[in-house]
Amino acid sequence: MTMTNGASTSILDAPTLKLSNVTKSFGPVVAVNDISLEIPRNEVVGLIGENGAGKSTLLKILTGLHQPDSGVIEANGNRVTFRRPQDAVAAGIGVVHQEQSLLTNLSVAENIAMNVASSKDRATRFGIYRWGRLNREAAEILDRIGAKIDPRTIVSQLSFVDRQMVEIARALRVDEMVHAAPLVILDEPTSVLERNETEILEREIRSLKDVGSVIFVSHRLDEVLRICDRIVVMRHGEIVAERRTDAVSEDELFRLMIGHESRAAKRPTGDRSGRQQPVLEVKGLRRDGAFKDVSLSAAPGHCVAIVGTLGSGREPLCRAVFGAEPFDAGTIEVGGKPVRSWSVHKAVSSGVAYVPSERRVEGMVGGLTGAENLTLAHPGGTRRGPFLKRRARAKLAEQWYERLDVRPRDPRMRLGRLSGGNQQKVVMAKWLLADDLKVLVLDHPLRGLDPGAAETVNAQIRAACEGGAAVLLLPDTLEEALEMADEILVMRDGEVTARFDLSIDSPTTLDLLEKMV
Amino acid sequence: MTDTDSSVKQTATADRAGSRRLENPGHRRFEWKSLGELGALIVLLVVFTALNPGSFLTGANVRTVLDQASQPLIVGVGATLVILMGSIDLSVEGVMGAAGMTFVLLSANSRHTVDLGPWAIVAAMLVGIALGLLSGLIHTRLKVPSFIVTLGVWFVGLGIATLLFGESAIPFLPDGSLKSWPTNHTLGLPNSFWLAAVVVVAGALVARFTRLGRFTYAIGNNEEIARDNGVPVGRFKLYVFVFAGACSALAGVLATLELGAGSTTVGIGNLFLTIAAVVIGGTSLGGGKGGILRTALGVMLLTVLNNGLILTGVSPNLQSAVSGTVLILAIVAASWPNRSSLRIVK
Repeated sequence: MTMTNGASTSILDAPTLKLSNVTKSFGPVVAVNDISLEIPRNEVVGLIGENGAGKSTLLKILTGLHQPDSGVIEANGNRVTFRRPQDAVAAGIGVVHQEQSLLTNLSVAENIAMNVASSKDRATRFGIYRWGRLNREAAEILDRIGAKIDPRTIVSQLSFVDRQMVEIARALRVDEMVHAAPLVILDEPTSVLERNETEILEREIRSLKDVGSVIFVSHRLDEVLRICDRIVVMRHGEIVAERRTDAVSEDELFRLMIGHESRAAKRPTGDRSGRQQPVLEVKGLRRDGAFKDVSLSAAPGHCVAIVGTLGSGREPLCRAVFGAEPFDAGTIEVGGKPVRSWSVHKAVSSGVAYVPSERRVEGMVGGLTGAENLTLAHPGGTRRGPFLKRRARAKLAEQWYERLDVRPRDPRMRLGRLSGGNQQKVVMAKWLLADDLKVLVLDHPLRGLDPGAAETVNAQIRAACEGGAAVLLLPDTLEEALEMADEILVMRDGEVTARFDLSIDSPTTLDLLEKMV
Repeated sequence: MTDTDSSVKQTATADRAGSRRLENPGHRRFEWKSLGELGALIVLLVVFTALNPGSFLTGANVRTVLDQASQPLIVGVGATLVILMGSIDLSVEGVMGAAGMTFVLLSANSRHTVDLGPWAIVAAMLVGIALGLLSGLIHTRLKVPSFIVTLGVWFVGLGIATLLFGESAIPFLPDGSLKSWPTNHTLGLPNSFWLAAVVVVAGALVARFTRLGRFTYAIGNNEEIARDNGVPVGRFKLYVFVFAGACSALAGVLATLELGAGSTTVGIGNLFLTIAAVVIGGTSLGGGKGGILRTALGVMLLTVLNNGLILTGVSPNLQSAVSGTVLILAIVAASWPNRSSLRIVK
């Protein structure tokens, strides 16, 4: 970290953090564009924006994970450069990440001290832990944020809200580095919490104001309005608005986040959404802690999109439909028959297909060739007994590569070496080539794809619909839902909060968002 | 206004603290879970005493059991730390062979090589440390799984021992040398056991009170998070492998003293026994959970089992089958509560 000391006199009234004209791009994509922002002392600033608005890139710049291409960052009046996460810590910026980052087998005190223990601290001098001192120091800092947690407790025995408090306490320890008010960044800290736990955390965050400043990132606008003093709205990598909380409404924030409103085009009420027997019927499906009382049905050729924020329960729901995760109650019927002891294997053999969001981890075997991946789930005519018919497989692969425009057009190439878009095409083709494809579950099929590849994938989804399959789609964006779906379900906290039949309604993105948060 | 606020907050936090106290025993260091192993040990002791009234619970036999337990106890201290980290050290027997042979050839022996006196022990320990360093460096720098690295180093150690042994006659330790030290008694117990006890206690203190020990647990819980928390993961892995190498070397010296001669295979049987003891004691092979005292309990369980079976007249040919079965049963019992979450077992 370099510090060109501006003026030590200004330290008292300089804002905790000041960004001027910060820009960061990845290749041709400008993720954060010319952002200037001030975080004053003792204020809670809310940061909101849709997925891909640039929030996470901005946070990564503030915590030293990314380096900005240009622009100036000042902490407490001093210009700073973060090359590593430790530099941000040294400048008094602590962060509570979206994912839990505690070591669950260690005690609360150890976790709070961990960063310091790995440097030099009196409680762990010469590599020896002085438990008494360690516990006392942890108790002090927990006390400061009003958390009544015994520092000797093992983290795995704490509730999630208490774990968040420990994370906040640890983030606050940065103030021992700088002798000034710290800045704590909270990245969607409530996404893992229950309602009543959220209230406790909200109260604690508000009380953090006395100690330092806070940047609070959340998807839930009601929460942001309750907690924050000021709200900053990001869209397409830019700050589009900055409002005082008392001078803004939830509706206005919606509009600022989305920018323009898109409206679904009216669907023809013809045969596509006709009165056919549904091929997928889910009734009252529930899994404790994930989703409850979800019912939906999809006829052949029908595309049902489910929208919702992180933690809305739509991901576990669609994995349950595919048999990859269990459910506690309710029924799933595929092709008119209720499923019993549902598993992935049974799902695949009864014509259900699943394109997962974690393509590299779950959707493909990178070390195998494209042709091998293609025939993994449904070998079709490429197998006789236990033996493979290599020539038939090569021919099949060539046809599909041609049809989906996979590049390079070499099915013998290992799939891991293809670009993301082309990988996704092969993953899709793996299911599309099944003779009896009944239900296609698509978990963020366009994630990380360029527009060209996205168009090909969308075209294949439509083709699958026309071929008589029902599609269950978890879209990345609301626009995607409005474009592709015949019916849109909105989920929030594990429950369906709204349904829009697009042959009757034509909802806007705002209509959807209102039910989401 | 502020008054009511803060009082509300206080009652709320008090409620939370109260409910937690009910639900969780919290920080209590004593765990009921560890009673399982202790109970098994007591059951074994009772059963074997009943089966062999005159021979099992005698001073001589207790001393025999404690002496037999001493090598696996020492090896187990290092092995536990390695396994707590989520790695594994298979090189135990190779390191014991190389260190033991180094010790014999550098002390007074029937081949009359060199006699460095106590420095021979230091040299043997250095050999163990070097082999541990080799495993650690290859594992952390070249990113080779510890399973494969230490499998290789096992045979590198055996190779070094064989090279040192050469073509000449077996090097015997002369009578009256340190040879008799391990089996001599202090306060009624064999010295070998006292040595093991010191190592176990030291190991337990390291695990509980030093950065090395605590970081070992941190790495075993989640290497990625540990790194994000500022733990120099590579460096501490290296330290642990070096520590394990030193433990194995010490056990190798002890084994050589008890044998009274140099042998490349002086460590034979220790790998299975220690890893089984670590697992039976309740240390998770995935890392992060367990401890050295648990391993000590595991070693005692297996040693008592072996000893008792022999006294009861069970064929020695059946011994290894019984030990293996016990190991598998222990793993099944330990992983029983988590079996539904084990989606992929490699």
